[in-house]
Amino acid sequence: MTGSVKISPPKLPLKFLKWFCNPDMVEDVEGDISELFSKRSKQNKLKAKLFFTLDVLLLFRPGMIREFEPINKLINFAMIKNYLKITLRNALRYKGFTVLNLLGLIVGIASSMLILLWVNDEVKMDKFHEQGDNIYQLFRNVHQGNGMISTNRAIPKPAADLMVEEYPEVNDLALLSWEMEVLMEIGDNATKEEGRIANQDFLNMFSFEVLLGDKNTALTEMNGVVITNTLAEKLFGTDWRDSVIGQNIRIDGEYDLIVSAVIEEPGSNSSLKFQWLGPAELFISANDWVNNWGNGSFGVYFTVDSEEDAKTVGERIKNVILDNTKDNDMAGHETLFVQKFADYYLYGNFDNGVISGGRIDYVRIMLVVAILILVVASVNFMNLATARSGRRSKEIGIRKVMGAQRSAISGQFFLEAILYSFISVLFSVIIVLLVLPYFNMLVGKTLILDFSLLQTWYFLLGVSLTVGLLSGSYPALLLPTFNIILSLKGAVKQSRTSTFFRKGLVVFQFGISTLLIIGTVVIHKQLSYVMNKDLGLEKDNLVLVRMDGDLGARSETYKNEVLNIPEVIAATAASGNPISYGRSTSSATWEGKGEAEHEINILLADNDFITAMGMEMVQGRAFQQGFADSTNFIINEVAADIMGFDEPIGKDLSFWGIDGKIVGVVKNFHMRDMYEPIAPLIITSFPIRGGYPVALFRVKGDMNNALVEIERITKEMNPVFDFEYEFMDQAYAESYQNEKTVSIQANIFSGIAILISCLGLLGLSTYTAEQRSREIGVRKVHGASVNQILVLLTKDYSILMLIAFVVAIPFGYYFTQQWLNDFEFRTTLDPSVFIIAGILTFLVGVLTVSAKSYHAATVNPTDSLKDE
Amino acid sequence: MGKYSIGEFEEVVLLTVAILYENAYGISIKEEIENRLKRKVSVGAMRTALNRLEKKGFLNSEFGEATAVRGGKRKRFFKVTPLGKDALDKVMETRKQLWDAIPSIAFDFKFA
Repeated sequence: MTGSVKISPPKLPLKFLKWFCNPDMVEDVEGDISELFSKRSKQNKLKAKLFFTLDVLLLFRPGMIREFEPINKLINFAMIKNYLKITLRNALRYKGFTVLNLLGLIVGIASSMLILLWVNDEVKMDKFHEQGDNIYQLFRNVHQGNGMISTNRAIPKPAADLMVEEYPEVNDLALLSWEMEVLMEIGDNATKEEGRIANQDFLNMFSFEVLLGDKNTALTEMNGVVITNTLAEKLFGTDWRDSVIGQNIRIDGEYDLIVSAVIEEPGSNSSLKFQWLGPAELFISANDWVNNWGNGSFGVYFTVDSEEDAKTVGERIKNVILDNTKDNDMAGHETLFVQKFADYYLYGNFDNGVISGGRIDYVRIMLVVAILILVVASVNFMNLATARSGRRSKEIGIRKVMGAQRSAISGQFFLEAILYSFISVLFSVIIVLLVLPYFNMLVGKTLILDFSLLQTWYFLLGVSLTVGLLSGSYPALLLPTFNIILSLKGAVKQSRTSTFFRKGLVVFQFGISTLLIIGTVVIHKQLSYVMNKDLGLEKDNLVLVRMDGDLGARSETYKNEVLNIPEVIAATAASGNPISYGRSTSSATWEGKGEAEHEINILLADNDFITAMGMEMVQGRAFQQGFADSTNFIINEVAADIMGFDEPIGKDLSFWGIDGKIVGVVKNFHMRDMYEPIAPLIITSFPIRGGYPVALFRVKGDMNNALVEIERITKEMNPVFDFEYEFMDQAYAESYQNEKTVSIQANIFSGIAILISCLGLLGLSTYTAEQRSREIGVRKVHGASVNQILVLLTKDYSILMLIAFVVAIPFGYYFTQQWLNDFEFRTTLDPSVFIIAGILTFLVGVLTVSAKSYHAATVNPTDSLKDE
Repeated sequence: MGKYSIGEFEEVVLLTVAILYENAYGISIKEEIENRLKRKVSVGAMRTALNRLEKKGFLNSEFGEATAVRGGKRKRFFKVTPLGKDALDKVMETRKQLWDAIPSIAFDFKFA
């Protein structure tokens, strides 16, 4: 042997081999595989270890396994049969407890299964792309003058070109535009469809299945268009397969494209959605602005061979925009960074240019909730099993007398617990299958419990064993410690520690329930805050209508027509939905502007905008009909603040090459959701090229009637297009759908947690009432009233719930404050939240206990005392 | 085949033991088969085959020296028994009989 470190084969497999291998063969076999191991470990130690383990597993076969004592098998089998029989007898003898036990477990397992299905679905989003591990995405950080950084996915195309030409690490590079809606016409058949512009590499990189046509050339031609199977069926009927390739589609009445391929519609597991893909070449040639370093255009995705390469690319690309826009004074301070594409769905929030979570927060919350519910359900089982252990004490004593070891008895209780949990899992599966359609409706997903997947079976088995072992652990540890003589006498007194532990478990359960209810109350409070927040404009009775085609250019006539409807009291046209707005520029300059960069939103609207929207002017005046206001601007308070004017009215301001003056300051209104601060804004009535895309009508009176009339006029003036509208208040509410869903889920699952806890409490209080039945009898004989006895029985548990409440408060405060911090505009956490949660839990708990106690307190004392 | 019943893999193992003569133990047999026949052999499959052959009486075995690479475990060397030799002869003979019985035209695929 040399002085070098000798590595020995992994111990566990070797131990296993020695255990199962026929003793006649064990020596030379062990020698053989050790020899193999030492040969292999010269090349690769890890591999050698893996192969060694594999060898051992392959040796585990009939010819090699030693004979195990058959007599042992017989006894084990007989004992297991006996355990099962006793379990069944006990279950049937105390039906009430069995039902409580099973119910708790079933409800717990079923709800955590639902949650885990949801979590699984979220985590799987965008994970189906074969190259997924190597696909990365570029993000652009725009540094604002006020020190804030806003992050977006639109990258200047020259940066992408640079990567293709000069970065050897980058293999494929896909360009993908934002979703745009175009009008698709085939003959008289016209439909508006959302889709994206993409280059050929997009198809190579992502695993969207191409059903018809050539995947490798579908987007190489200037006039090719890829459509989804859904769209193909819509445009060409059910037999689209025969005729679709090579068909001509007219896009927006301007471009004629030929269907080059049909692609499977992106499913619910893809965050990239589209109905069609247009060729990037065509778009680039028609839009010269994309070739400017200052303009973000496409989303950029690229593949590399390894994570290191991605890091290298990230370092090299970081400052290219700065480097290439040095000479341009107008250019903003912008940097690029790289993130794995598959992570974007879950980690999609950026706080000052740094990833700050995203949906992963909800995934984590729900995961924790699922685990907590499982634990609460298991705790129930533990509590009930140990509380009732007195009933089993004689059985345990007899078993011990007959020679059972501690391990055998704890094995029995583990087996019992696992059996219960298996049965519960079985019922839970049935419940999940029944509830799943409704749950899907609630969360807006298409979750299924797929039994053809091995994963599902592993999961079910895993849950059964985990819950079984968890809930069986305490009884299995506690029960075998009973003293034989005492237990045969039936006089086992529960030790102080076990009572204490059980009380601890109750505190734990109710603590968790209180925590969940605090969470629910806070989510609810924040949601109602968001819904009732003064947005700075009146969103009620406001209808937004999309002006398609050339209607936008005729908006004045259109508005006047609509204003003839008696119910419509105001009308205006604008460049977008004012409460969900994102058009911005960094090119604005004003009197006394310093070096700092500012990204400022630009809203184009006609003269009636401010009044029609019900916005409030802080200073100056709104645009007015009759004034020549096209080069006059209104800014919001944030913009006024950023520009640093004490007296903004009359100051010079210019952007997009338009020079004008500020005539008014409008009160801040919310252009984005409540997660974001209010951004600086300039409102201009400068005429928009191609006309305004949306019109907004304020209605007073019969909304239905008004809508019918608006539709009639719109159709009359614009017969080709569908009439598309939304109610602003409804659209606003819908934009918080995600939060609403979480809120409903939180409601349901915290309800379930408290339900399970109460089931446990019900069992425990039943037990206590039984134990103390004679005491109650004696007290009643001595003149105690029902109320006094009720208080006596309820007092203990009430104290536990109070402790649970106190323990839950700091946790609840911490977690809910964390969640609220995501919102720029948030409600405050006041004591009422905790008080509501506390009282709710307490009331439910006390009611449960006293229901049982009342029964015990009203029993005629002769019944409980006559045995003596 | 009666007492000479032998499977394909067993036949390969038995022949390899004969080839290796004095040096036929687990790893050498495994490597010999892997080198000659280009097929992967797991220790488990090979050891059970050896075991069966020994039970049938075609092989016998004895322990050799212990070495450090083997973790101080001895090698078990295998040897073909006369019965094993008979079995191999028998296999070859039956194969030959079958070959001889094939009419010459059966493998004439020209007009098939």
